[in-house]
Parts: sequence; structure tokens; C-alpha cells
Amino acid sequence: MPSMDAISRNLMLDSLREYAKRRIPYDLIRDLDEKNEFPAEILKEMYDRDTLGVHLLMIPEAYGGVSGGTYDIYRICEALARIDLGIATGVFATFLGTDPLNVGGTEEQKEKWLKRIASENLLVAYAATEPDAGSDLVNLRTRAEHVVKNGRIAGYRITGNKQWISNGGVADMHTVLALAPGGPSWFIVEKDMEGFSANKHEDKHGIRLSNTAGLSLDNVYVPAENLIGMEEGKGLLQAQAVFGYTRVMVAAFGLGAGEEAVEQAIRYSQQRIQGGGPLSDKQGYTHKLIVPNYVKLEGARSYIEYTALRLDSGEHGLQTEGAIAKYGASEWGNKAADDAIQALGGYGYTKDFPVEKIKRDIKITCIYEGTSEVLEMTIYRGRWQEHLKSRGRYYLDMADRLDELHAKEPRCGAHASALALRALGAVMEECRLQKLTRHQHVTFKLGRLIAAAETAAIFSTAAGAQKYAETVRFDREGWQAMARVFAREAALNTAMEGLALVLGAADSGNSLADAVNIEAVQAEQKGMVADMDLVAAKLKQTFKAK
Amino acid sequence: MNIVVCVKQVPDSTEVKINPETGTLIRAGVPSIINPYDHFALQTALELKAKHDFKVTLVSMGPPQAKSVVQMGMALGADEGVLLSDMAFAGSDTWATSYALAKAIKKIGKVDLIFAGMQAIDGDTAQTGPGVAQQLGMPQITFCERVEVDGRRIIAHKQIDGGHEVVEARPPVLLTMIMHKDYTPRYPSFLSVNASLKKPFHTWNAADIGAEPQYLGLKGSPTQVDKIYPPPQREKAAMFSGSGAEGMARIMQIMKAEHFLED
Repeated sequence: MPSMDAISRNLMLDSLREYAKRRIPYDLIRDLDEKNEFPAEILKEMYDRDTLGVHLLMIPEAYGGVSGGTYDIYRICEALARIDLGIATGVFATFLGTDPLNVGGTEEQKEKWLKRIASENLLVAYAATEPDAGSDLVNLRTRAEHVVKNGRIAGYRITGNKQWISNGGVADMHTVLALAPGGPSWFIVEKDMEGFSANKHEDKHGIRLSNTAGLSLDNVYVPAENLIGMEEGKGLLQAQAVFGYTRVMVAAFGLGAGEEAVEQAIRYSQQRIQGGGPLSDKQGYTHKLIVPNYVKLEGARSYIEYTALRLDSGEHGLQTEGAIAKYGASEWGNKAADDAIQALGGYGYTKDFPVEKIKRDIKITCIYEGTSEVLEMTIYRGRWQEHLKSRGRYYLDMADRLDELHAKEPRCGAHASALALRALGAVMEECRLQKLTRHQHVTFKLGRLIAAAETAAIFSTAAGAQKYAETVRFDREGWQAMARVFAREAALNTAMEGLALVLGAADSGNSLADAVNIEAVQAEQKGMVADMDLVAAKLKQTFKAK
Repeated sequence: MNIVVCVKQVPDSTEVKINPETGTLIRAGVPSIINPYDHFALQTALELKAKHDFKVTLVSMGPPQAKSVVQMGMALGADEGVLLSDMAFAGSDTWATSYALAKAIKKIGKVDLIFAGMQAIDGDTAQTGPGVAQQLGMPQITFCERVEVDGRRIIAHKQIDGGHEVVEARPPVLLTMIMHKDYTPRYPSFLSVNASLKKPFHTWNAADIGAEPQYLGLKGSPTQVDKIYPPPQREKAAMFSGSGAEGMARIMQIMKAEHFLED
């Protein structure tokens, strides 16, 4: 679905924030976190169509929803993550659980179920993971067997166990992946069906406001019309079709929670006087704990927006892009939250300050909806194909476009991004020539390098654009400085780590120093400290102490 | 009855800072909100609409992004929205703004009640509402906190120094609203935001409302802002933690040291 107009989107965001301000204060969140309790009443209110109706974003207007696009959903997910990642996960689970219907449901199924989800405020769960089938769904054990009446398939009997299901113990309906005779397929299972039960709510490290439970399905009978799409064997395709999109949502969680943690640290640092002045004025503090993290997250934001807008314009799949968006936002968000505890010192280590909880919560974004390692593999696979198909030109062509941008906009980091992309192209080509991708370590590491270099390129492109997105909270000078800091680091890391990777894996010792253009990458580092000073000043100006 | 509510988009007052060098407001990156007094006026109008099935039309004047407050009002229940947007309006003071709003209200047609906030939190002049009444030659009741309608009787409860006054009027009348202290502004649900897109919304320029250029903008404004400056900062307060008794003891000690109290 294309995204809605900016005014409507921002009115919805304002309503969500206003609701949270009134109904979900930190003391309540802290209490629920301590008790490991799912806030059923809050979720019901958030789904209530007269109060908020946040779940309606996922539902097309024809079925009683508001037809949100990926960009809208990204913005709402980011805002939810800034409130509480557990509550955000509860909402996300409904989004995810609704997806198989949106993607693969027949018109009649959409008419029935999407309308019910919209009007009855149903909590939904997405039940794919099993004790022995997490990232690798090929090992699916849950079975759906035909129940034949009068010579035709009247229904299915589903038996198996599901694990780590968000909303598992509280959802009104579940979309369950099971192995039918014709292959993996999605089924709609309602909570009161005979033989269906949810196990205990897990005692988790973080997102403790999100209900997570295993499910037991013991010969659960579902009528044939509950097979999504009315065709067996489409389950994995239906699941994969939305990865680009669902990973953008989790990326928005990493972004929102991560930036929230850093912003709290920035506000704190202006009041905390140490060694004769506020911490916010000390490079030893800002240039280690604040600036690098915020810059990375703004890079992740630009990549999320780039992917969301492409999906909204009608492109399908974008699995590699979704993976890059989620990988960056979750890994960098996790690091940012860790550093935010450090930035608050002893206070950060207590539960009186939300950064401690954010750090526990945000870790999940590196795990669910594709672990970081699965994403490294996905990113490598997607781009390795491009590298081969283009005979090594993929990143070189992209670098040419960045150089063209640099000629017009010399201050958006495009030159450094082009250096990162060229170094990446050279490293990948050397890996091909020396057949280094036989090492799994090389492939995963390439995934990491690709994520950073591509994000640098997209960040520079966004910072070089004439008009900025509605989400940019800095002036041109500040945002371009952030893009430069990101791009310089990406160029240096791609060149140095790429070089080390090849040298470490190859039999022969050909140095790549010239191919990755180490001299130019080093020269590009000039001005880094001054840019970090500028970014620190802009952050302080934007996030003033309360 | 037909009700018009005048609303203004203002910068969130808690975020606004003044540039000490240029003396102008720093608006970049500051979120915009509906003027809280206008929000209360709108809510009052919508309560009357719910009770009596009146029609509520919103009018605002501002740059294109001010559409946001009109759409929000429609999401909350108003039936129709008008935004006056034209470079010719830029720089208008309260008099020129009242002129434009009055012209727009005339174009809307038969209007029985006009609501406006008592004042906007950015300018704090409290002149625009009364100005509109003056331009339309309409009676006005200011500082209202509650309004009832009984047939053709408009009963306004207004605040006055040291008490309350109940005033009756016949339509048409313009009312400016203060805020109840226990008032909580409503916010729209996602569904009502979406539904507001389907309500009639018009953007009118100066020509559309038949406004004469010499009465608009800077040249149509009898008042010009000479300078804006922040009030001098008060000295920093000292904060004490501990029990009430300990705090009191510290305060007594300081007051004695500063000779506010005798030993």
C-alpha cells in the first residue's frame, strides 16, 4: 500500500504519543517490567477504534482499516519503540500475524478475518517458530492432516508445538504455519478451538511487557476455509514475501529504542558536571559514547526510509534491503543503548533510569525476525549474486553515482561513501578470484561490510538531497556532518577490515592495499574530529536538558 | 445552527526559543500544535454539535502546513475545513488577520455562532477574536468558559474579575473561550484521522474571499513588531533533598544569612 499523506501520518503519531503520555508513564512500565506482566488493558485500549486503533494501520480501508503504507508503519513502530519495546512487540505481533492474510488470503478470507480484526480489536499472533525450527523453517514439524468428508477436504487436524510466540498466551487468533500434505501452509487458529493451548509466559531478559509463550496444538480441527489462500504449499513463499517489509518494522524498533537511549544520555550529559564542566562538552565522553552511535542510527534511519519508500512505490520483496535496514538499526541500536548506560554511569545501571530497561529490551531486535547472523548471510547472498551478475560492476557503478553526487554536493560524505563502495567491490572481487567464500566466516563478514558501506551511500544520498524527509531533526549543516562521519568510518572499516579478511583467508599473500585505495581512504579521514565536534554541538542543541 | 470555529497553528510554547541576536522566534524543528484555547473552543462547539446536531466549520489562516490543525479539528468531529493561505496574508497583524477571517466567514454563508480561543499562546494579544466580531458587526462575549444553547438563546458563562457572569445573547454572536482548569484536550483516533480526509476541505487565497490587498499583510497592518526579546533570566534556584524538616531548617538558615529573617 502506498503511504498516506504526511499530515494524517503525523496526526496519528501525535495521538499515539499523547495516549502514551497520559496512560503509560514510566513508573507503570517499570512496575510491569518488574512483574513480567503483559498490559492487556493498555493493548486493548490501543486497539480500540475510538481510542487509537493502532492495529488498523495494517488493514486496508476496504476492510475497515486505514491502509497504512510501509513508511507510515515504520514511523509508528519507531514511536512505539520509544514508549516501550514490549508494548511495541505486542502490536507488531498483530501486524505480523495479519501479514499472511494480507499477502496470501483469498478475497473471502480477507473480508471475513481482516474485518473481524479491525472491528473486534483482535490481538493476533504469528506462529512459525518451533523448538527445532527457528531461522530454518525447513525443519517444520507441526503437521496439518486432511479431514475428508464426502470425498472432499472438509478441514485439517493440526498437531505440533510452537515456541517463542509473541502474544502467544493472549492472542484471540493465531496464524499458524504447519506442514500440510501439499507443503508448508498458513492456517487460522482461534484461541478457543479444542486441542489448542498456550504455555506459560516466558521469563525474559527484556521486552517483559510482551507476552511470549509456546503453543501446543493437539489434533486441533480447523475448517478448510481457514487454510490461507485455499492452496497448500504456499506458506514459505508467503512468509518470505513480506520479510523486506516486516524487517523494516523491527529496524524501526532498533532505531527508536536506540535513539531514545542516546537522547536521554545527551540530556543527562548537559546537567552532569564533572571535572569543572558538563559531560556534554567533553570529547572523551561525546566522541566515544554519543556521536558515533547517533550518527550510525541516523544512517540506519536513512536506509530504513529508502527501503520503505521503495516498498511503498510498489516494489516487491527487497529482502536484502530489509535485511540491511534491520541489521544496521538493531546492531547499532543495541550498541547505542549499551553506551547510554555507560554515559549515565552508576545512574544508568539502576532501574530508576529507563536506559537500563532499553538496553535489556533492544537486544531482542538482534534476535527476532531474523538474527543478525542470518541477516549477514542474507545480505551476503543477495549482493554476491549482484556482484557476479554485474561482473564486479555492482558497487563500482554505485560508487560512480556517489562521485557524481559529490561533484554537486561536496559536503554530504558522498566521496567517502564512494571510497567505501569501491573498496568493497575490490574485496568481493578478490574473494571471487581466490574462492574465499568457501569460508563461512568470509561470507558473514562480507555481509557486515556490505551493510555499513551501503548505508553510508544511502545516508550520503539522503543528506545530499535538496529536500529532507519529515524525520530529519537537524539543519543541513548538522545532518551533512553526520553523513560525513558515517561515511568516513565506513570507508576506513571497509578498506581495513576487507583487507584483513582477504589476507586472513587467502593462501597467497597479494596485498589489496592499492585495490582498496588505502591512501585515499586515509586522506579522507581529515576533518573527522571537527565534524564530530559539530555533531556533538548539534545534538546538544536539539536535545536540550529538560 | 451553523458554527464557525477559528483555529490557529502555533509553535509548542514549551519548545520555543528566541534568537538573542536577531530577536526573532526560532521555529526550526519546533513542533506545531493547535492553539490550546482554540482547541477548547473547538471542543465546546463539538459538544454543542453532538447535542443539537449543529454544523461546525473550521477556519484557519496560515502557511500550507497549517492544514494540519484544520484536519485535526475535522478528525475530532468538525464537518468542514477552510484554510486561508496566500503570500498576501503573510505578516498580517491581528487587525488584518481579523479582516481576512471575517471575509472568509462571509463567504461561508449564514453563520450563527463563531468561536475563537481567548488568545493564541504565541502572540498573546487576545485581539483577533474581538476583531472578527468588529469586522462582521456582530456582538461578542469574551472570556467564556461554558456555552449553552436553548432554542435561540445563547447562554454564555464568562469569567470576570473575582467571579462569574452569565450573559445571554441571540445569534449571531462571537464567543471567545478561556480554558477550564480541569479540561483535557481530546485527540483523534486513527480511524477518525482517516475519515477526516473525506470531509470537505478548501484552501482559499485572498482573491477567493474577495479581500482587498491593501488591507492584508504588512501594509494592511496598523501594528508592526519592533522587537522580541526573552525576559531576563531569573537567578538559579537552589534545590535541597531530604525530609521536609531538614529542608525547612536549610531554608531558615539561608533566610537568616541573607537577612530576610532575624536571629
